[in-house]
Amino acid sequence: MVRVSYGVWDGVVKDNRGRIPVEIPPDPDLTGFEHFNDGNSIRAFVGDRGFVVFDPETDLVDALWRHMDRAAEESCGKCTPCRIGAQLIRDALGEARAGRGSADSWARIEALAHQMAETSLCYLGQSSANALIAALEHFRDELDERREVTPVENGASYVTAPCVEACPSKVAVPRYIDYIKDGRPDLSLGVILRKYPMAATCGRVCVRFCEMACRRNAVDEPVGIKILKRYVADQQKGLHGHIFSPDRVAAKLPDSMKVAVIGAGPAGVSCAYHLLLRGYNVDVLEAESEAGGMARSGIPSYRLPKDVLKAETDTIVELGGRFRFGRALGRDFSVDDLFAEGYKAVFLGLGCAKGTLLGVAGEDPSHAGYHSGIDFLLAVHNHVEHGAPFELGGEVAVVGGGNVAMDCVRSALRLGAKKVHLIYRRTEADMPADHEEIEAAKAEGVVFHCLSNPSRVLEENGRIVGVELVEMRQTVPDKKGRIGVEPVPGTEKTFHCDVLIAAIGQQVDKATLSADDGVQLDKWGCVAHNAQTLVTTRAGVFAGGDCASGASTLIHAMAMGLKAARGIDDYLRVGHPRFFPRSRMRQLLNQNKLLSGECFEIPVAHQYRIDIPNLAPEERARTFEEVEKPITSAEAYREANRCLRCYRVYSVVTETAVPTGTR
Amino acid sequence: MEARINGRQVEFEAGDTILTAARRAGAYIPTLCELADIGHRPGTCRVCLVEERQAGQDRAHMVTACNTPMQEGIEVFTRTPKVREMQKLQVELLLADHDQDCATCSRHGDCELQDVAQFVGLDQSRFARREWSKARPVDDTGPALVRDMNKCVRCQRCVVVCRDVQGIDALVIEEAGGIGTHVTMRQLNDQGANPCVTCGQCVMVCPTGALAARDETDTVIDYLYDPEVITVFQMAPAVRVGLAQEFGLENAEGHIITALRMMGADVVLDTNFAADLVVMEEGTEVIRRVKAGQKPTFTSCCPGWVNFVEKNHPELLPNLSTAKSPQQCLGSLVKTYLAERMNLDKTRIRNISIMPCTAKKDEMHRPQHEHDGVKDVDLVLTVREFSRLLRREGIDLRKLEPGTFDNPYMADYSGAGVIFGTTGGVMEAAVRSAYFLVNGKELPQAEVTALRSFDDIRTATVAIGGGLPDLKLAICHGLTAAREVAEGVLAGRYDFDFVEVMACPGGCMTGGGNMKQKHSYRADSERRRVTLFEIDAKRKIRQSHNNPQIRQLYADYLGEPMSDRAHHLLHTHYTDRRTQAEVAAKEIWREIRTALPKRPTEKA
Repeated sequence: MVRVSYGVWDGVVKDNRGRIPVEIPPDPDLTGFEHFNDGNSIRAFVGDRGFVVFDPETDLVDALWRHMDRAAEESCGKCTPCRIGAQLIRDALGEARAGRGSADSWARIEALAHQMAETSLCYLGQSSANALIAALEHFRDELDERREVTPVENGASYVTAPCVEACPSKVAVPRYIDYIKDGRPDLSLGVILRKYPMAATCGRVCVRFCEMACRRNAVDEPVGIKILKRYVADQQKGLHGHIFSPDRVAAKLPDSMKVAVIGAGPAGVSCAYHLLLRGYNVDVLEAESEAGGMARSGIPSYRLPKDVLKAETDTIVELGGRFRFGRALGRDFSVDDLFAEGYKAVFLGLGCAKGTLLGVAGEDPSHAGYHSGIDFLLAVHNHVEHGAPFELGGEVAVVGGGNVAMDCVRSALRLGAKKVHLIYRRTEADMPADHEEIEAAKAEGVVFHCLSNPSRVLEENGRIVGVELVEMRQTVPDKKGRIGVEPVPGTEKTFHCDVLIAAIGQQVDKATLSADDGVQLDKWGCVAHNAQTLVTTRAGVFAGGDCASGASTLIHAMAMGLKAARGIDDYLRVGHPRFFPRSRMRQLLNQNKLLSGECFEIPVAHQYRIDIPNLAPEERARTFEEVEKPITSAEAYREANRCLRCYRVYSVVTETAVPTGTR
Repeated sequence: MEARINGRQVEFEAGDTILTAARRAGAYIPTLCELADIGHRPGTCRVCLVEERQAGQDRAHMVTACNTPMQEGIEVFTRTPKVREMQKLQVELLLADHDQDCATCSRHGDCELQDVAQFVGLDQSRFARREWSKARPVDDTGPALVRDMNKCVRCQRCVVVCRDVQGIDALVIEEAGGIGTHVTMRQLNDQGANPCVTCGQCVMVCPTGALAARDETDTVIDYLYDPEVITVFQMAPAVRVGLAQEFGLENAEGHIITALRMMGADVVLDTNFAADLVVMEEGTEVIRRVKAGQKPTFTSCCPGWVNFVEKNHPELLPNLSTAKSPQQCLGSLVKTYLAERMNLDKTRIRNISIMPCTAKKDEMHRPQHEHDGVKDVDLVLTVREFSRLLRREGIDLRKLEPGTFDNPYMADYSGAGVIFGTTGGVMEAAVRSAYFLVNGKELPQAEVTALRSFDDIRTATVAIGGGLPDLKLAICHGLTAAREVAEGVLAGRYDFDFVEVMACPGGCMTGGGNMKQKHSYRADSERRRVTLFEIDAKRKIRQSHNNPQIRQLYADYLGEPMSDRAHHLLHTHYTDRRTQAEVAAKEIWREIRTALPKRPTEKA
């Protein structure tokens, strides 16, 4: 619990000055503001919507100077009031902080602060002087105070935007969009590659948490962040080789600093990439004969051409890493074997390779015509890419409402199914799949059966002949407002199909890990791990991606790969997990929901989002050719210019110096 | 839909901004970065502030008029004390990092920034810091253009005109941290790899003196006042209309002749004469190529286009006409033919051309345009520099009695020569003479109206007679259109015999060396075009081959078109200048590391 001495947030003034701390009621709205890092209390916090001082001895001028100093540093220099205003304010606050302020200079600061806040082009300029304005309006006495030269306060500041915070990998989205606007797609790609190597892949299949958080949603439609990523990645193909050259490896570590990455999926590739960049010797052990994991077998080539994926997983080799294909944990080696071979740490990126059963009567995965979603997609991949025989005929029913289910229905169409049905127990609006995927499946002719669920699998002579479906209905919302579904008794009916695909979820394949490995699973059947370092129950063994989180997205897996690389680096070279001020700031922002509930006071002109060119549904429904076509430079410039740059600065003043963890 | 501006009811349409609605209603709002003619409103200068109150709200907001949409029932105020105060502070901030050596600036007295400073009544500049106004680079590496980023207001008009209008995309923004951020050129220090073709359209839209042609007026004055130097001037077809508008005239040809004589020019020639000559050479060449089944032939009189082909599609170089441009043909003949006829010492001759073009400054430096170490053309003045020269010499064109050309060798011109100054003119001139060359008789009608629309790509099929197949002709202007034609020809989408290309939209009359007009782009083009066609219509002689001085030149000196001597003096060759930009990965990582949001650090 934290007690506020004084401050202004969202225009609400709090003033407890003159009261002794125990008299001040703890602030119910602020969570986690006691300490920044261990034993280092937060004395003041400054943000886009105001400031809060916890320790009345804090020098407010210094806190505001720190904040404006960061704003001045971040100013892009394109609009006038932020370019010049931020510099002038910073310098004037610096003078005041050094005891050289005057009534005249404070008047000047006030005019400049209003100029910045009211006339800047983007949210960085619009927001960074707000705390200063609030202080001038309500706590002028704290600023006018005659002062000696102020001792330097400790603290940290952080710049972010809603799209950045929403991204699991924390890609600097406005930054890479700015580089597109600037005409520098090479630098734009570089920004993305700082976080993960699979930019062209992500630019095709990402689920786009960033776009959901985009403030343009409140104006018209979100910026096409994903398509812009694909644009720079595709456009800079020639650059690929250069960018991934070993030049990037900061300093090569001795040969003994060797790490084994198990699984060449997105998590493993990302982890290996970041370890290689940190100078480690990395071997990636993969059960299959190619890299890519679920991105390879689980995402059909009409969404992600396999040569695009391969070019990106090959970066591991270009950076000096090594793939060891056909090597499966549990079958060919154990975790102990790896340590015995001299690997100093192990990363488990095993994925969720096993499909979840429907759990209804008559279900037997050995029946002809029965597939789990991911087994089906793997068979499709082997058929399309390698010519492995795979016949599909008659009517196909896919159960599920996620992206895997959509991949299954659309792939089934392309393989020549007579008719393809999608069965989902909730409503279409409840489907977790991407909206675009749902629309594409419908456009291609998939028949949707919502509020409908299998109650029995029907077979004859070991062949699937259909499924018994029961109608579902929505329940009344519970206390938390959640609406469930329940079967409607007596509505069972027989539904004919020749192929049944259960695409309702995936799990870790329990055969991979044995008790001897010393790696325990949690109650959901995932690899148990520490959320911060991703270390498992066995020292030196880390885990990430689907096997740790449960079936999730590409971007989550890649984010965990980076996190694990940091965890491994800390484990091997520092000996303990380091403190990352940025992560701590994010935690504060999250806990207090500081980035939500924003609205636009000033109208913004509508500029509708780019229409991504597609192959026509009738053309594409029977081929595995990539459906989405690339955009032109002119379109990319136009789309990039829709970005509103919602940057903002957050600063803390702390008791003692903040350790810096990031390299 | 309705709203109020300064209390007056105004109507507006969907898509209107406050600025467009206010302009229609006659309510003036100062602007700087915005340029309506190219749909540019980056919202970076933040000068066009107004107060806006939405229906049902008490509080008014300060907004920029250029990019805030009009909405039903809003009230807009353009002249409140708060608006005026904030506009004034904004301009004061704009000047804080602006190089304020206004007296030495090429835009002095003609500057959009000075205009807004005057409008807001700026009476002081409290924040100007020298270290800020010298923080950015001055790029004077090229022969044609100088970019002084300390005079840049970050309007990005140049970036957008290069990117969207010309499709070249040579200019990029270098993020160098707030005040240091500036516009630069891709591969700045590599003349081969940088995609700039020196068309100068960026200069035409710059609101200040940040972009300018390299100023050569001083050297011209040196020449004029040096008794040892024989100054030979030429003016391009479009110059007479490009400069005219500045002085309220339609055609300034006679005034320019008088002014040049007053300044002491020894010989005054007309590039139109050389245009007629190019028609003879190029027309003959095209007919030969058609007969030989080679196609298409592209015109080569536009140096921006030649640069474009050399840098982007060198595989088309064999298709460029080998004829030099009129400027270069004239230059080369002055130092040979004219020097002989007039008994001039050619080492003392300085050829000075007045051009509506910045790329001509680049063209004269091509190594191909030298004979025995002597340049064909010694100096190129843009129309803007010529106007400055007039001011420096105290000459007001309006007060002059128009003169006429008097050189008996290289100053007469046909109507065909003068229309070289606008898109389609070269083609029309060539058709007039090609018909004669093939059939031995004139086209019944001099005007080829099929070629006279203003579309950026236009095509026509002309029956040329003489047993030749009908000629498939194409005309394009602006480099976006030129790129489409070039790539279409390479891809086999287009089949043409002869293609005229002018790099600047509209052709030379709106080339990058013309007088600039504030807050507008190509505003005067229609009038200039009409005037050029009128000059043509009034000429007694309309066809290049009928120009008596051209006939005399061939009879006395060159023999016939494409003779050996003509080839030596009037034809050129081109080089493949396409290079792949070498991108150093380390460079990229260094840039990204410095530009990315920094990690939280301890502040001392």
